[in-house]
Amino acid sequence: MSNPMEQFVVKPIIPLQIGGVDVSFTNSALFMVLAVAASTLLFAFCLRKRSLVPSIAQSVPETIYEFVHSLLKENVGVEGLKYFPFIFTMFLFVAFGNVLGLFPYAFTFTSHLTAVGSLSLIALLFNVCIGIKKKKIGWLRTFLPKGIPVALAPLIVPIEMISFLSKPFSLTVRLVANMTVGHIMLKIIAGFVAALGVLGIIPILFNCCIVCFEIFIALLQAFIYTVLSCIYLGDALHEH
Amino acid sequence: MPQLDFSIFPSQFFWLAISFFTMLFIFSRFIIPKTGEMINLRKAKIDEYLEKAAALKVKVEKTLDKYNQALKKATDEANASLAETKEEMDAMIERRQAELAADLKKQIAESEAKIGAGKEKALKQLEPLAAELAQEVLHKLGFKDVKTADIAQVLQQTKED
Repeated sequence: MSNPMEQFVVKPIIPLQIGGVDVSFTNSALFMVLAVAASTLLFAFCLRKRSLVPSIAQSVPETIYEFVHSLLKENVGVEGLKYFPFIFTMFLFVAFGNVLGLFPYAFTFTSHLTAVGSLSLIALLFNVCIGIKKKKIGWLRTFLPKGIPVALAPLIVPIEMISFLSKPFSLTVRLVANMTVGHIMLKIIAGFVAALGVLGIIPILFNCCIVCFEIFIALLQAFIYTVLSCIYLGDALHEH
Repeated sequence: MPQLDFSIFPSQFFWLAISFFTMLFIFSRFIIPKTGEMINLRKAKIDEYLEKAAALKVKVEKTLDKYNQALKKATDEANASLAETKEEMDAMIERRQAELAADLKKQIAESEAKIGAGKEKALKQLEPLAAELAQEVLHKLGFKDVKTADIAQVLQQTKED
């Protein structure tokens, strides 16, 4: 039986170094590019013929658009709508990363702490920039909410800082853990197919069910990642 | 565990940033405006139709109101006309009944007068016959000296009583 962790190994495809830093184009990077290409092509294909009464193809991007739009409006409010492209892109990027990883021999970049962590870091920086742009120096109030006595600052500020920095961490770990566990389970059960001979049909059927479940999990996790990002964006925009 | 290999972080971050921002650029420039444009257009169209429908509803309500008012006016007029006609008819019936009653009363009086006159005449015609009959009866009874004038006088006296 092959090692179920082998599927997560990042292998360089095109070695590349910039300023002495290794930024090789890896199998993970390939699937990131594929996620971008697949989502762009799907949307472009669906939107090639637009009409007031939408076709089935046209209703797919429109449904996703309205879904993310309402998600953002509910969690952040109307003022959050100007950041819609960022949230929409994030949802699709994660969703396509999760779903593409379910194809045989595919690589799931969303199962990597470094990849999802990078995305969460980008989201965190985005929220910080928005917060500073909106509240200016008042953004620092994030770490010392109004109404808290200054005497408690030495206690509250570190707690709030940890809470603030743990947001991208929790976002990352939640998605990575879900994706990793699902793929390990699929691989382990698939390993039984050859070992059981004729009875191998049982793990195959079981795996089929799990794949369906994993598709659901992939989309659900993309949704959760987006909802939490919206909530953090709302925190950055509104008073603590 | 390959997930905990942080040596690949620069490569992962670099390519994720490139992919994500490329996707963000493509989507925010082309895909999102295209999708949003059609949704907004549809919403605007639906709103326009809803507004039109609301305006038509108000118009219909106004027309219905006018119709109801006209119907009420016509009903009132018809009722008034009906009442007036009924009053006229009642008055006419009353007048005709009074005329008829007067006419009948007059006719009855005339008839009664005629009957009285006839009766008087008949009685006058009977008087000489009664006197003659009474004289004959008296003659048969033996009162031969009773005169016709006496009998007439007695009859006259009886009649007056």
